[in-house]
Amino acid sequence: MKITNLKKLNDEGVESLPSQERRQFLQFGLCITGVFLGGTVLSLTSARNVQGALSGGRFLSTDFPYSPHYTMVIRESHCIDCEKCMDACRATNSVPAHGYRTTILERSVPITPDRRDRVFMPILCNQCNRPPCVRVCPTRATYKDTTTGIVRMDIGKCIGCKTCMAACPYNARYFDEEIRAIDKCNFCYDTKLKESNGKTTACATACPAGVRVFGDLTDPETDAYKLIHTPEKVFWVLRPERGTLPNVFYVNR
Amino acid sequence: MNLSQTENNGLSTSVNLVPLLVILALISAFGLAFGLHSLLVGHHHTFGTTREVPWGLLITPYFFFACLSTGICIVSSLGQVFRVEIFKAIIPRAVFLAIVTMATGLMCITLELENPWRVGVNAFSSPHPSSNIWWKTAIYSLYLIFMLFNFLSLILKNEKRARIFAIIAFTTVTLGNLNMNSDMAILGTRGFWSENYMPLYFLSLSTITGCAAIILFSWIGRLLNGQKTENDSEEKALMATGKLFMILLFGFLYFTVVKVMGGFSPIFTKNPEAMDLLVRGSFSINFWLGEVGLTVLFPLILILATGGKNITILALAGISCLVGSFVLFYDLVIVGQLIPHYHQYNVVGLPEYYAYSPSLHESMITAGAVFFYLAAFIFGEILLRKKFSHA
Repeated sequence: MKITNLKKLNDEGVESLPSQERRQFLQFGLCITGVFLGGTVLSLTSARNVQGALSGGRFLSTDFPYSPHYTMVIRESHCIDCEKCMDACRATNSVPAHGYRTTILERSVPITPDRRDRVFMPILCNQCNRPPCVRVCPTRATYKDTTTGIVRMDIGKCIGCKTCMAACPYNARYFDEEIRAIDKCNFCYDTKLKESNGKTTACATACPAGVRVFGDLTDPETDAYKLIHTPEKVFWVLRPERGTLPNVFYVNR
Repeated sequence: MNLSQTENNGLSTSVNLVPLLVILALISAFGLAFGLHSLLVGHHHTFGTTREVPWGLLITPYFFFACLSTGICIVSSLGQVFRVEIFKAIIPRAVFLAIVTMATGLMCITLELENPWRVGVNAFSSPHPSSNIWWKTAIYSLYLIFMLFNFLSLILKNEKRARIFAIIAFTTVTLGNLNMNSDMAILGTRGFWSENYMPLYFLSLSTITGCAAIILFSWIGRLLNGQKTENDSEEKALMATGKLFMILLFGFLYFTVVKVMGGFSPIFTKNPEAMDLLVRGSFSINFWLGEVGLTVLFPLILILATGGKNITILALAGISCLVGSFVLFYDLVIVGQLIPHYHQYNVVGLPEYYAYSPSLHESMITAGAVFFYLAAFIFGEILLRKKFSHA
């Protein structure tokens, strides 16, 4: 039928529609709605919860879900890029040459319109309280340690899909070909942290400038706690817009 | 039914298809051998992926074939599930195509994994229902099983049972397609895959590619089988599929505009650099030629110019759309990853964009998968020709 012919037809109105047709139409609509909603439910929680829930800039909780709640405070302006932390990390955790658990980035920070300051920024896994890598892992190969909050790896479960690498906003993960699994910083959980009875990590011990301050956020006596609980002290986290609640904090001095 | 029986039925064209099947299968095996080599020596040595860009070319055929299978299933469901009479003629071939398409997609993702042998055990012993990847694998595997039962029921002429499996498979795969939205959005750690419009975007794209594949492969199938009867039920079904194809292409044009506008707007994204790279940067040829030209505009022009009544032109529009959407999926996977993690931190020596280009191994595996798909299609034509031609 041509569309122009439609004008010639009498308007029958919806009243004349048989109830069977109405029911079929409703049924069809409900099916589509149900399928659509089902797909959303399958995602369990919206991806927004992981991405941008912290739009207000909140990145330090007042209550700490883990005990000890390990953290690392980076005194950024102290770093001289000697890379002793990286060497210690490699030696302690058998990190292969093709990867790294921690590294140091060099920043050129604008101070005035014609002057820039050179700053070294050590980076490592942020042991996030809301880690995207844990959320996306299909086999729980990466998980949040229920006691310490450290994001750890169960290498026997890693299928090598690298979804966690794609999901990590901090580029903190790499695939270790030697163990055929993802490797990442775990605050030296099974090496230096264990040896030191939970007091320090290899990188923090090796740093000659005291850049990396490891500690427990639930213990007011630790330097890490004091550094980020000093009034008027400015501290920040990397990429707060991702809403990951990092446990690695940065301070100037 | 086996090959010899088919030959005994006097359908001589099947004999001609066997050499083609063998050639396609050999090329496929050659390509897939690169995948086995990669598994043995490790992807570090053979893939172009890096720490910064961990997802490479092989994710593209996975998404492409998974969405394609979804689309084929949706189109076949119009006849099988929703009982739209005109679409019933394409059901058997569509169901078979949906199965081999998903199987090809799952094969691609298997070869993309570093340790695929751990999937079978750990997906069951240590499942993670919060992971969209886990859901996707589970859903697509279940879908494949349901579609196999659907196909078996069709062969056994039990249409009632086939429809029940078709309903379950249709529901399952649609859920999988919608789940893909969050799957991609959560990976947008560098903010590219905007979440809001993605469910309908994926669903419409899947259905478009489904229409394109059904038209294209039915056209090839008819050509190979020497079916020249005009105005038969299958041809009418293909015309109807062509109309659906055209309508959806108009809708998809709208989504493409929304995608670009959303990608540049700071309201919707924190990372407009990715969209800039896609639309105006080094991926602009992919975008304008592949995503806009081949996927939407060229097929639309072809269909509108012929009124959608020429099956050969529809098939040409179909192949253009399929090639274009493959490019689209490649862009979707790669571009978002190319924005450096710390690009807003004035890092010295950090490139404006990360670099990625597919390695020989990745390209050969992808080619192997495509030839596997073609070989499976020809195999289906040989094995079930009688079934198709009588449907």
